[in-house]
Amino acid sequence: MSPSLTKIVPVAVVLAASLGLGGCATKGYVRDQIAVVNQRIDGLDTRLQATDATAKQALSEAQAASGVGQQNGQRLDQLNGRVDGIEQRMVENQNKRARN
Amino acid sequence: MIDVVLALAGLALATAAPAAVTPPAAADPPLKGAAEGPGKSLSAIRVAEWVASSGDNHALPYIIIDKPAAAAFLFSADGQPIAQVPVLIGIAEGDEATPGIGSKSLAEIGPAEKTTPAGRFLARFGYAAGKKRVLWVDYATSVALHPIPPHTEKEKRRQRMLSPEIDDNRITFGCINVPLAFFNKNLRPLFEKKGGYVYILPDSKPLEEVFPRLRVQPITP
Repeated sequence: MSPSLTKIVPVAVVLAASLGLGGCATKGYVRDQIAVVNQRIDGLDTRLQATDATAKQALSEAQAASGVGQQNGQRLDQLNGRVDGIEQRMVENQNKRARN
Repeated sequence: MIDVVLALAGLALATAAPAAVTPPAAADPPLKGAAEGPGKSLSAIRVAEWVASSGDNHALPYIIIDKPAAAAFLFSADGQPIAQVPVLIGIAEGDEATPGIGSKSLAEIGPAEKTTPAGRFLARFGYAAGKKRVLWVDYATSVALHPIPPHTEKEKRRQRMLSPEIDDNRITFGCINVPLAFFNKNLRPLFEKKGGYVYILPDSKPLEEVFPRLRVQPITP
């Protein structure tokens, strides 16, 4: 090996190592970054769950309200029927002749 | 001990026996009594006592129509006698109503069908033709209780009601006519709100057949 080559090789190795180390992130850095992202994801997940629970509650309340509305409608129909019957009977009564 | 029980049972049966006796329903002589009120027949007294003691009127006012005597006896809900009046009833004798008579017009009702049916009726006030307010006794057979209707002068209903005779009180198509003052002042205030019971005594049927619960009512001497 020539003397110039013996000088160049270590320099090249040092250069290559410094370049390589400068381009890569450390494990700790990566963990920190991932932790931040995970934290944000957890936060979003919690908010999503809360939103989902609210939506489900709203849905169940809407369904219950719809059920009550349906029942009220049925009851109104029944009452209408009864009122019609009573009105009919009143009319019939007014027309029914007693045996004097 | 068994002998004592048997003796008591025999005694109970012996005292209950008179309840099964069926007295004649029609043409009872009018009786007078302080508690019963004047002019009530034995049948009317029996029915009045039974209703009052058994609570058969379910806390509603009631009226007993004594067809053979052509009289009505009004009682309050707690069994207090309120009034006694003469009535006009169906011209035909009989205790049944012809099936389907309720849908017939007056002109279609035959002479033998003009009966006032006997029985126990839950009556309520209501309207009849001409917007007349009547006490419907048996709606299905069109029997109502009301004052003498207008346009019946030819039948002399008022005179018939006022006369002491009983036979001439049979003149209606089956309804029960009562004096107007009695209807408005005594009957209507009592019956208007919740109605009441009407007990119509029979012409010819046994009393117990018309009111089966009378069988368990002892006859008071």
